[in-house]
Amino acid sequence: MAIDFHWRLPSHGEPSTHRNREPYRGDWFFGNGQPGSHGLSSRADGFSYIDYLGEIARAAEISGFQGGLIPSFPSTDEPWAISAFLAQQTRTFRFMLAFQPGFLNPVTAARMTATLQRATGGRALFNVITGGGGPSQLWWGDSVPHDDRYTRTTEFLDVLRGVWQGGPFSYDGKFYQVQDAGLAEPLSREEFPEIYFSGSSDAALSSASKHAEYYLSWLEPFDQLREKFDRVKQRTDLLGRKIKCAVRVDVIARATEEEAWAEVRKGFERLDPAAIARLRERRGGGDSVGASRQGAARPLTINSYKDLIIEPNVWSGFSLLRGGQTNGIVGSYEQVAERLDDLVQLGADAFILASTPHLEETYRVGEEVLPLVKGHR
Amino acid sequence: MSEYIWQLPNNRDARYADATPRKRGERLEGDRAPFTSGVSDPRGSRFNYLDYLHQIARAADLTGFDGIRIQNDHQGDEPWIIAGYLAPSTRRLKLLTEFDASRGSAVYAAKNAMSFQRFTGNRFAWQISSVEDPVVRLQLGDRAQNADLLPRIDEFLTVARGVIDQTGFNFKGRFFEVLEGGFSGPLSGHPVPTVYLSGATAEAYQLSAAQADVHVFDAQPAAQLLPLLAEVAAIAKIHQRELKFGLRIDVLARESQEEAEFDARRLAEQTDWQGSFDADGLWLGLGSAHGDAKATLVGSYEQVIERLSAYADAGIHSFLLGGAPHLEEAYRVGENLLPALRAYSQRDANVA
Repeated sequence: MAIDFHWRLPSHGEPSTHRNREPYRGDWFFGNGQPGSHGLSSRADGFSYIDYLGEIARAAEISGFQGGLIPSFPSTDEPWAISAFLAQQTRTFRFMLAFQPGFLNPVTAARMTATLQRATGGRALFNVITGGGGPSQLWWGDSVPHDDRYTRTTEFLDVLRGVWQGGPFSYDGKFYQVQDAGLAEPLSREEFPEIYFSGSSDAALSSASKHAEYYLSWLEPFDQLREKFDRVKQRTDLLGRKIKCAVRVDVIARATEEEAWAEVRKGFERLDPAAIARLRERRGGGDSVGASRQGAARPLTINSYKDLIIEPNVWSGFSLLRGGQTNGIVGSYEQVAERLDDLVQLGADAFILASTPHLEETYRVGEEVLPLVKGHR
Repeated sequence: MSEYIWQLPNNRDARYADATPRKRGERLEGDRAPFTSGVSDPRGSRFNYLDYLHQIARAADLTGFDGIRIQNDHQGDEPWIIAGYLAPSTRRLKLLTEFDASRGSAVYAAKNAMSFQRFTGNRFAWQISSVEDPVVRLQLGDRAQNADLLPRIDEFLTVARGVIDQTGFNFKGRFFEVLEGGFSGPLSGHPVPTVYLSGATAEAYQLSAAQADVHVFDAQPAAQLLPLLAEVAAIAKIHQRELKFGLRIDVLARESQEEAEFDARRLAEQTDWQGSFDADGLWLGLGSAHGDAKATLVGSYEQVIERLSAYADAGIHSFLLGGAPHLEEAYRVGENLLPALRAYSQRDANVA
């Protein structure tokens, strides 16, 4: 079975390099207090951020990626909108929509998904996320506590699957109730999307085991990740299902190891010391188990970028250079390919890769790294 | 100045001289091959109804309509996805998207709407409608009671406006809640989608007066409409809000009245139409087999222009027009009716 490689669409803008915060692509970063432009240039030219995202999607499909993850956070543009807008502009790019099931009626979500399949020729897939809890959950208007949110996710996917092929399907759950529901033809003939499932807690593993094709994790220390993947697969085996595992990880790959670490060093040296202090202090956020697991691996003292190297070619300071998870792979093209193969050996069947800037780096990783990956176990 | 919005028939459309509702451009499972074996067909399954809807949208943009209305037929494709799919191919059209407040979180809807606004230069608009039948509602995963429907739309709009226009927004209602919500950075600074609401009850009028930008009336004789306009205007005045009025009406206009009535009679026969028509050419219930308008205006181009202008004089600002087949009729109405309608609508501006 061949390994699937996905890329990522940065739905919240991105710096044009790991080294500096500016120039910034997209109107999120205000630099020295000046508002960013709507697209890439500072002219009032009628372009908007969707135009740059479209270019990244096209670059990723030209470079051989399956498609890309489209994240959803309070600051981002939204994946359903991005996918619909880019449908006609792409040929093979598969749109991995990150969304929290609690935010959509499952029957509405089924209609939306089936229509997106019709609009793209079957290129929609899900990244089911269940939220970080705390104030940011209430910002979304969601006051359901952690474990209940996973119950809701399970029910949501029960109903989505139930109505998909036309029903009639009835369901009486804690969060959702439907009676004689079902997608109408020809929506009911579309292929059900693959599900990448995120979440590190016990409740998450339980929900994933029932519904997910892929259990998705951020990069953790390799032994920890192997243990996690083994646990998920055992649990799913008990239900008579086979689940695959996937890793979401940023990479900095260059022709030589020195050049790759030079990117990291330059970015790190230009940081505000307060940002480094915040990283040291922040060991976890909200009720997210994943964020806590990442935080636990970081050292207590950080004097140089080298203090954040936690394993060969694994650097845990990525969140300093751009928002998001902290661990990523740094090295020569050969080294990065080797680390990816190591992850395949410990259980990964698919990857969601990313780097900054997302357009140029999808060409680089597609042209230089993917050809070196062996891929089988 | 009036606005003219063309209907996108979500689920199916008819053809000239054939009222059978069909998914034009799409070959459904179980359909016979359209051509005989003696004729080559290169299509395979490459095209579907969304490609046809795309053409209707382009037709409306090219011929100068102000917008398209993406109808929410529950058996059809999902309107927000249709809107996003069509949007990049349109330059000026307002994308009036009909949906139900049972779709999910109001904050999530508002956030998605901000992406639509950002990507289209603020062309997104909402028409929030309800499903009357509780059995159908349960099929759609909605367990709201009849009495809940309008209050839920009210809360939905209050939350959406709150998070779009403010930060630190707090709300706790029966259907939605938010704590310290609100969009910032580039997601802020965009307008709330223009809100179109409809309904013929006193409660619906109250809701529109408080929350809508446009209240859409069903097609009906002007004499019947006038007192309703006055009633809603009075309620809006109490709320101190500016509320415009819309009319959802189909048109069947031809070069001559004879041709128009010929086509209307054929449509009537093919759809077992049992309604009535008046001296102004309004055929009540005609066209409901393929659309959600309650009546069709039948007549020559001049006659239909005159009747629509009369509605405008009566106070209608937004015309939500339709007619089957919706692709070809977009060209016909856009080319033959819109120029005169706009000239009439602008005449006071020119005189003044």
